[in-house]
Amino acid sequence: MTGICKSFSGVKVLSDVQFDLKAGEVHVLAGENGAGKSTLIKILAGVHTDYQGQISLNSQPVRFASIHEATAAGISVIHQELSLVPSMTIAENIFLGREKCRGLWLNKKEMTAEAGKLLAEIGLDVDVTRNLGSYPLSIQQMVEICKAIAFDCRIIVMDEPTSALTDVEVEKLFTIVDKLRKSGCGIIYISHKMEEIYRIADRITVLRDGEYVGTATAEELDRGKMVKWMVGRELNQQFPRHKSAPGQVRLKVSSFILPDPAGKPMPAVNDVSFSVRCGEILGIAGLQGSGNSELLNGIFGTYGSQAHGDFELDGQPYKPTTPANAISRGISLLTNDRKANGLVLGMNIIHNITLAALKKFSPFGWLQPNSETKTAAEQKEALNLKAASLKMSVDSLSGGNQQKVVMAKWIETEPKVFLLDEPTRGVDVGAKHEIYELMNKWTSNGLAIILITSEMPELLAMSDRIIVMHRGSITAEFDSEQATQEKILHAAMGIQTN
Amino acid sequence: MSTCILKGRNMKGTISLLIITLLVGFIALTGCSKKPSDKGDKSTKAKWTIGMSQCNLGEPWRVQMNADVKMAADKHPEIKVVYKDAQNDTLKQRSQMEEFISAGVNLIIISPKEAAPLTPVVAQAYQKGIPVIVLDRRVLGDQYTCFIGADNKKIGKAAGKWIVDKLGGKGKVVELMGLMTSTPGQDRHSGFRDGTKGSDLEIIFEADMKWLEPDSRKEMESALARFDKIDLVYAHNDPGAHGAYLAAQAAGREKNIIFVGIDALPQEGQAYVKQGILQASFEYPTGGKEAIELGLDILNGKKVEKEVTLSSRVFTKDNIDAGGEWLKE
Amino acid sequence: MTKEKSSAKFAGFSAEHWFTSPTSRAFGALIIVFALGLLFNADGAFYKWGTHRDMLRAVSVYGILSCGMTLVIISGGIDLSVASILALTAVSFSLFTIHKGISTPIAILACLVIGALCGMFSGAVIARFRIQPFIATLAMMVFARGMAKWVSGGQKISTAVQQSDGTYKYVNVPQVFNFINSKVLGDNITVVTLIFVVCLIISWILLVKLRYGRYLYAIGGNEEAARLSGVPVGWTKILAYGMSGLFCAVAGICQAAQELQGDPEAGMAYELSAIAMVVIGGTSLQGGRGGIWLTLIGVLTIGYLEKILSINAVGEDKRLMLTAAIIIAAVLVQKGKK
Repeated sequence: MTGICKSFSGVKVLSDVQFDLKAGEVHVLAGENGAGKSTLIKILAGVHTDYQGQISLNSQPVRFASIHEATAAGISVIHQELSLVPSMTIAENIFLGREKCRGLWLNKKEMTAEAGKLLAEIGLDVDVTRNLGSYPLSIQQMVEICKAIAFDCRIIVMDEPTSALTDVEVEKLFTIVDKLRKSGCGIIYISHKMEEIYRIADRITVLRDGEYVGTATAEELDRGKMVKWMVGRELNQQFPRHKSAPGQVRLKVSSFILPDPAGKPMPAVNDVSFSVRCGEILGIAGLQGSGNSELLNGIFGTYGSQAHGDFELDGQPYKPTTPANAISRGISLLTNDRKANGLVLGMNIIHNITLAALKKFSPFGWLQPNSETKTAAEQKEALNLKAASLKMSVDSLSGGNQQKVVMAKWIETEPKVFLLDEPTRGVDVGAKHEIYELMNKWTSNGLAIILITSEMPELLAMSDRIIVMHRGSITAEFDSEQATQEKILHAAMGIQTN
Repeated sequence: MSTCILKGRNMKGTISLLIITLLVGFIALTGCSKKPSDKGDKSTKAKWTIGMSQCNLGEPWRVQMNADVKMAADKHPEIKVVYKDAQNDTLKQRSQMEEFISAGVNLIIISPKEAAPLTPVVAQAYQKGIPVIVLDRRVLGDQYTCFIGADNKKIGKAAGKWIVDKLGGKGKVVELMGLMTSTPGQDRHSGFRDGTKGSDLEIIFEADMKWLEPDSRKEMESALARFDKIDLVYAHNDPGAHGAYLAAQAAGREKNIIFVGIDALPQEGQAYVKQGILQASFEYPTGGKEAIELGLDILNGKKVEKEVTLSSRVFTKDNIDAGGEWLKE
Repeated sequence: MTKEKSSAKFAGFSAEHWFTSPTSRAFGALIIVFALGLLFNADGAFYKWGTHRDMLRAVSVYGILSCGMTLVIISGGIDLSVASILALTAVSFSLFTIHKGISTPIAILACLVIGALCGMFSGAVIARFRIQPFIATLAMMVFARGMAKWVSGGQKISTAVQQSDGTYKYVNVPQVFNFINSKVLGDNITVVTLIFVVCLIISWILLVKLRYGRYLYAIGGNEEAARLSGVPVGWTKILAYGMSGLFCAVAGICQAAQELQGDPEAGMAYELSAIAMVVIGGTSLQGGRGGIWLTLIGVLTIGYLEKILSINAVGEDKRLMLTAAIIIAAVLVQKGKK
């Protein structure tokens, strides 16, 4: 691809970008949110047909007029936003749009068998005849990957494919990538995660603000230099953690039991006890099914009175009943899926920010739009929120900015305990840094934070203490100095260590 | 405004409270008022049992029909009437007829929802020896004892003639029609045109108000907006005429317009005539009384006519106290 | 940075933005219908103020129902029972005032309570038992209609009161009926229209000025996100359906007053008109978007359409086809530049 330019309504999104891909290579496309990576990929995939520049495939110039043409030319895309239908089965999803038919009739048997084979190849052992929606997000993402590689393709584009995957599944993905690489496929890989990038990349191309910055092999380009290319400045510390002296016990959890929300016999949280103090960050590590997300949600009251156990907030008894109750007691939860349950996408930035603390802005039920706007403006400043206007609806913001809006919402509730479930998922490097700084600020003000993150370095760097969960129970506890990636992984997998 | 004072757990209790309040309060306020009074239940001394199959009791006119049957039947202790309401469902009416047949009633009176689907079951009863009186709506063929009904065409024509007479042969008339996809609507329309043939009457505005009063009012408002002079309004039913009256009253023109309706139910059309809202209402008789009288004749072994056309009355201010005036054939 | 640049243009008051806003799109449909009226003005009938005043009168009852429907639809639900609650309260109001001689303020209050309770019941079933609004309000639709017929004995409750011996006594129409049926401000506007306007204002306050309205939009936009943000989803929904029931009661009282009787069959299929008016105005059936002024535009659009067809004495068959065609056209004009 050379000289690619694209504008949306007069605003240049890409200017003179170049990119090339060799057969059998993994070429990582890196850049902050809004750098233009998605747009470039969409041009290649035939989604955007109106652009300047040339694309050539195997030395032949091509110009795709539709997604169909691009797919026919052997280009397959795994999107960041899953393009699956939850109410259909896995097999149906994989063959969506390319159903196998015998004349007019769908050949369900053949599709089921094929789907099963494909999943087995990537080591996924699930029932392909069950509805996709009944599986957790990580399985869904694996199915998305499966869908893309199910058909012969020469170029595969993966846009943040591991955002919802656990470490074990990420390894499976890398095995697939290796296989594809060996078979001569070219892979374009978009990711924010440093480890992944350096693990699989042959070459790395960086875009910044719609412009081409540079391409280099993974050996030539060290982390610091790559980040500098991406943000235009050196980031000395990727994880700036300033520890504060922890104070009194803020939240104490004893014998917390939560039956599985999906109805499985094994409880999701099985007799868990721990405590967290003011100014402390407690990290909770765990793989898929460990129950860490359910733990936070249970404390927050998402499951209502199904959460059994003794809870104490600043020494006062607390019972999780509803989210509204939790918020009024000073507990806030940042969920791991902002689009599904963190934001009201149709509403604008201001309204999303004030939603959880609306009572503050509406004495006797009467809204005060001026004070709402003022607060939102203050939050925009404080969180460095990049948005042209506060009256924009949040669905037009980038992932990192959306996450900031959600954080602003919870900050407004003035929590005493902040439960964070994957706060930096789908967030670019610059914004991640800002979020870490925020966490520092909060703890220095005495806030207690419980942090779930699947990025090990983030967990190790930001937590003061770490507990590891496996299948609903706590299998290990570490202070941040003692913890290592191996120890955590062992505990997370339930392997006994002496 | 919505402070969450009551928490989740109290929801169940609050819900039950709502349900109970709703029911209790409602019953208390309305105080078990009018109930459908036609659950026939006679003493066991009755000699004959008559089955009355009504296609629906949603229309007040049919409620009146059943009431007329009851009133006539009450005068004769030797008959007992069992009422069944098919709720406008053809299949239900068919199975209710079959119940009458297997219960071995002495006579059946049926007002069928539709002709074709109910013809076989009527024939079945007739051939089994149960006399069947078909009331108001026809069935096909001739496998029944007798048919009693009024003739909408005749009524429409009589109305037309009365109107021509009243207006002295010329004038501007608005016709507000009932559902023109139904036979009564079409008949009352064609009869009216027949009755006004040859006169200098001008039908300046006609609209389909579907038998409904609010719709009739809207259409009349449009007519009033368009035409400065309207002499008479002919509506296919009394509610329609009443709606037109209200529209005219709101425009201050009701005193200059004559209103004519059809049906003449005692509490509706006749009441409107008494109150001076309608100048004339043409009775569309239910035939309930006639059905019982003819039924008795049949049960007593007398021979009856196969086709009985009910005569109709016209009610005007002059004759309302005398009970209306019978229309000449 | 680049994404923000493109949005900057839209955030300002550029003309392009105004033309594609939901309000202007809804206006587009109304303007088309109004133009049709000017074109097919039935010998000048369309130019008379009386015609417009009558159109407003005729459409006010539907409009009052649409107010409640707007609240419910914004919350992501639907209310099919509006017409039946209208009939129930029309019958009850006539019964209380004409037959039982209960004083007007108490009768009105009782009817409002009946309407609100019916609505809250539907809302409770939807909120607590997670039954789909379509089904729950469908059940209430059947139940309320049945209640209306039971209470009235299947007959219209009018000034002809049936005595025990079968004859009829005629009573006077209660004052309140005449009042609601009358015109004010120099015969230029009917009281029902004013009642409709009051309902519009109440809906506006609820939706825009009160915290409650924000909760409604949030629930309609993303119910789970709203719940996890501490919004009291259950009570908000119950109140929404309760308000709808309340508006139905107001509409029922107006309907009874305009007919001078309580008809258990009143309002057949009014719910469809109410939904159509809300949707044509531009409020999305999915919830989370829309507003009361959009509904007003929808009410006027359909109101004018019916009036134009009526003064031109268009035959029933053509009327149905034309109405359908114009509704589709109106919706397409709305989808236009999304």
